[in-house]
Amino acid sequence: MADVITVPQARPVQPALRFLRVIPGVLLLATVGYAGKLLEQNVGAYAKAHHWTFPNIEYVLWAIVLGLLISNTVGVPEIFRTGVATYEFWLKAGIVLLGARFLLGDILKLGGVSLVLVAIEIAGSLAFMTFLGRVFKLKPKLTTLLAVGSAVCGVSAIIATKGAIEADDEDSSFSIAAILALGALALFTFPLIGHALHLTDRAYGLWAGLGVDNTAEATAAGALYSDAAGKLAVLVKSTRNAMIGFVVLAYAIYWASKGQAQAVGNKAAFLWQKFPKFVLGFLLISMLATYHFFSKDQIGALANLSRWAFLLTFAGVGLRTNFGEMRKQGLRPFAVGAIGEVVIAGFTLALVYGASKIFGW
Amino acid sequence: MSEEAAGAKTGSRWKLSLDTWAVLVAFLFALLVRAGVFKRVPW
Repeated sequence: MADVITVPQARPVQPALRFLRVIPGVLLLATVGYAGKLLEQNVGAYAKAHHWTFPNIEYVLWAIVLGLLISNTVGVPEIFRTGVATYEFWLKAGIVLLGARFLLGDILKLGGVSLVLVAIEIAGSLAFMTFLGRVFKLKPKLTTLLAVGSAVCGVSAIIATKGAIEADDEDSSFSIAAILALGALALFTFPLIGHALHLTDRAYGLWAGLGVDNTAEATAAGALYSDAAGKLAVLVKSTRNAMIGFVVLAYAIYWASKGQAQAVGNKAAFLWQKFPKFVLGFLLISMLATYHFFSKDQIGALANLSRWAFLLTFAGVGLRTNFGEMRKQGLRPFAVGAIGEVVIAGFTLALVYGASKIFGW
Repeated sequence: MSEEAAGAKTGSRWKLSLDTWAVLVAFLFALLVRAGVFKRVPW
């Protein structure tokens, strides 16, 4: 957690040494993730054998809960932290490989619908978070970071915006802590609300992709509901991620016009630099699968590789979430984030209901 | 993305972002599956 909130100063390290430093943490991710998978298989079977009534808890939740337990009790020792931070790498590799399970036509169809909903979500979220920041008298750049984190893609968006608008380290730490804490809450509340409202896999996947900020949490919140919902949540979240460059560019131009950030020179280069490349990888793999570059068995193998990558991601989500560290960041940004997230969750749920009525989902 | 920004600041032209590495590794695995190196991936 600490190395997520307070970004460590980069020291020149040999590539071989850097590789060695990630090994302990990656092994920890694999151990926690695999323990989650074993618990899913064995706890259910044990309960059934003993005639207990026990809900079927998926490996996703076990891996996150085990990670949370470690992080919030004994903590994650320094030696593991660099490797645990690779969970984002596994997430992105997993999303690219997941592309093999989508036909390009489906992506264009669903992506078209989600693009419209994403545009409405981003505009509504940015406007509401900016309004809340003013009501709570937060610093303008802190408000910008919270707005971008809530509207687009969580931590990645905050880090990208921080550089572009020259925000303080303290502001970005506040925003990241708020977004991570709220993402952890969303992980548990979204599936409960989805089940309570009897949402279909499609409606829930769309909602999780639109309403949960961080890509890792959106993927996990979707997978906690069902495999189909998880797939759709990743697609919608990737559409949101693809918007990051445009939103950051708009804020960079705004703050530069106020003389509080450097002017953006080459806008096309800026957009390319901020564009999440894994979205392109996802589309390319999907295109290859659509045109039968892979056999059916090979697509199954790629889907399983994607599941293994997500297994490490879900363990990482738990391991990097430390509630004690989050509490230290202060209450006001968290309160703004929490109010914003509740309103955005309600707003996106209404959008999904509207889309369900229109498209008959 | 943060790595990309850092790369741009330090002028390290050839430093790849986390995103790009993830895409390259995913494609490497996809090619290995396509080439039949990994015939079956258990889950």
